[in-house]
Amino acid sequence: MKLSWIRPSLVTIAALMAACAASAAPGASELRFCIGAQPKTFNPLLVDDDASETVRYLTGGVLVRLDRNSQKLLPELATSWTINRDGSAITFVLRENVRFSDGTSFSADDVAYTMQKLMDPNLHSPTGDAFRSREGTVSTKVVGKSRITVTFPGPIVGLDRLFDQVAIMSATSPKKEMAVLGPYYVSENKAGAYLLLDRNPNYWKHDPGGRQLPYIDRVRLDVQQNRDIEALRMSRGEIDFINSLNAESFEALKSKAPQDVLDAGVGLDSEQMWFNQVPASPLPDYKKAWFTSNSFRRAISSSIRRDDLVRVVFKGHAQPAVSFISPANKFWFNQKLQPHAFDSQAALRALNADGFQMQNGTLHDRAGHPVEFSLITNAGNKDRERMAAMIQQDLAAIGIRLNVVTLDFPSLIERITRTFNYEACLLGLVNDDLDPNTQMNIWLSSAENHQWNPGQKTPATPWEAEIDRLMREQASTLDAKKRKQDVDRVQEIVWEQQPFIYLVNKNALSAVSPNLHNVHPAVLRPQIYWNIDQLTLGNEVATAH
Amino acid sequence: MSTLVKCAARTLLVVIIAGFLGATLVRLAPGYGVAEEELDARLNADSVQALRDAHRDRGTIFSFYLRVAQRMLHGDLGFSDAMQEPVRQLIAERFPETLKSVGFGLSLGWAIGLSLAILSVTARSAAVDVGTGLLATLALCTPAAVLALLCVLAQAPGRIVIAATIFPKVFQYGRNLLLKNAALPHVLSAHARGLGRSRIFLRHTVPLAAPQLLAVAGVTVGIAFTTAIPVEALCDMPGIGQLAWKAALARDLELLVILTMIVATVTLVANSTAELLGKAAAHR
Repeated sequence: MKLSWIRPSLVTIAALMAACAASAAPGASELRFCIGAQPKTFNPLLVDDDASETVRYLTGGVLVRLDRNSQKLLPELATSWTINRDGSAITFVLRENVRFSDGTSFSADDVAYTMQKLMDPNLHSPTGDAFRSREGTVSTKVVGKSRITVTFPGPIVGLDRLFDQVAIMSATSPKKEMAVLGPYYVSENKAGAYLLLDRNPNYWKHDPGGRQLPYIDRVRLDVQQNRDIEALRMSRGEIDFINSLNAESFEALKSKAPQDVLDAGVGLDSEQMWFNQVPASPLPDYKKAWFTSNSFRRAISSSIRRDDLVRVVFKGHAQPAVSFISPANKFWFNQKLQPHAFDSQAALRALNADGFQMQNGTLHDRAGHPVEFSLITNAGNKDRERMAAMIQQDLAAIGIRLNVVTLDFPSLIERITRTFNYEACLLGLVNDDLDPNTQMNIWLSSAENHQWNPGQKTPATPWEAEIDRLMREQASTLDAKKRKQDVDRVQEIVWEQQPFIYLVNKNALSAVSPNLHNVHPAVLRPQIYWNIDQLTLGNEVATAH
Repeated sequence: MSTLVKCAARTLLVVIIAGFLGATLVRLAPGYGVAEEELDARLNADSVQALRDAHRDRGTIFSFYLRVAQRMLHGDLGFSDAMQEPVRQLIAERFPETLKSVGFGLSLGWAIGLSLAILSVTARSAAVDVGTGLLATLALCTPAAVLALLCVLAQAPGRIVIAATIFPKVFQYGRNLLLKNAALPHVLSAHARGLGRSRIFLRHTVPLAAPQLLAVAGVTVGIAFTTAIPVEALCDMPGIGQLAWKAALARDLELLVILTMIVATVTLVANSTAELLGKAAAHR
């Protein structure tokens, strides 16, 4: 009688323990890393920020994938593809018996649906804009379930490579963009805190042993804006990797665990400064005259000790920059060009020839105005703040007073894109693509991202007209040799005219826990998890191989 | 009853003014209506323009006020641009976390503050007095953000910072109040009659301090909520403080207006409640 309550209690406890064990899923592996902000969208066609890009990469299924290491295109949902002679149409043969994460079948209709949505001019998709070489509509022709031809109004250079960014959406799934073809799907989203991605049970890929990929069961993305705390969490083993580190955190982690940090060499990103050359800007005319003078810009460029920036700010994990194409981009980089050498005497001579005079240690222009300007950069970026401080010292040596102003990003963008109320700006260019054609919206004088003087109705200078011509020319031919000649010439003009004063190309730095295996760091994004479906954690490594 | 109605009306008015003043400040802040994505080199001119149009001011400040008020009357708190979720859902997800932090911080802060105040008054030792005073001064002059960073480095829970912000205020006010009450004639008379120290303290000194301490309690609730903002942001705690920080950085107007109103409501309700309770205690 006394034992009557014990039995049900034991059963309850056993059931609870079983439930706990089930929820913990013994052996379930979880990869953890940080993203800098809450993803702004889960619609793969509207991705325009790093966090959304990360989610798209982990969840989206693409027709072709660029191998970040070999930089070659590999078949994914398309088993093969062909581009027509003029580069305006591409035909894909699709993989069969593939299902979305919710079980919906994948077919050529989904590709047609995705392309129609992507190229809808009202959607303003950044991914779609990369496919827009000229006005006109995009047509799709579906032949059976597994063959589709997409025809564009004009030729597109590197057409197949652009599909690396196009995550295929389901035309019929009620879950819309949340039904995915990639290795993971979004299972939980606590906005601003974390995201959980669970393994896609219908992922089509298997390893040579027949085991369904990915190996890791779950990915947890913690939203962490503070990079120092991210590095701290890495050193404590709370996260498994940091995709991109700054040099300071890299060195700090290296001192604690040298085996955890990786320097993949010079990357594609650059740091540069430029002067405001907008005619309608609220700057005094004499300053506008300085900033539009090629001699002035070149003198500034020659007065900056790039080697010191590399050594002091980036602790050696960078290279002096030459051009808008990094030396890491071996095919497109113009090998003939060298970084502008530091030569303050030559800079002073050039400035003297341009009417500037040194008086009592201060440089004055022809009209007697002391040469002084401000350099804005984004607050919170320690590397840029230090670079600005060093440039300040370099320019002081030639009698120029530089005032460094740090602004939060929205304020800075407002100044460089709306009010044009700034004198010089220091920022970086994040480059995801090897092909310089993706930089059309920077180099065309009419473009909004032609930062030193955006949205010109007609080119303000002959050299900008020449860049316009060359960039349009390279975009209209599929002849790689001709394109290379054009892009080389653009690099030469930029090197001569210095509209952007390129400072450094940063190395691709990352940190990886020894617990994470099959990592092959690359300089292209996403550097660490580009082969996410092959990564393994801890003791899984034995079974994965 | 009329006092309650007056309090409610005052709270409502102040909350509305606080929300709309907050909105005005955000609207006038540099960088409002600007999207980081505009610098994406892949975007063509049409897309950049579309992005700008989407983020541009939708009408004047007054029309915005009117729209928000109309929506709020229908129970719609708006949509967060930065978090891409309805504001109501964000608040519902995060408010419990902040309540836990604030509750913990207030409880611990009050417990430490009052204990130290009682110790300081009853111990009659210069060393204890100086020691407790120094501890409180140190906590008072260290910014909450610095304490939060120390918590991050020490892997300590960030909620401690709220307690560390609260206790010096409770200690200083409580100590002064208890000392003042201990010097009152009837307390001195009780001592002269030979009553026990504990009895005098509990029966005569503490009850007199209760109404004033209740008023301080209201103030500390407001302090705890405002401290939660840097603490949650730095210690990575998913509460409304962290949300407010992110909303401010992203110039997320709709979210900021609601968060301002929530913090104002909590502060005012706490203050009013403490005031009413204090008055009731004083009448007794």
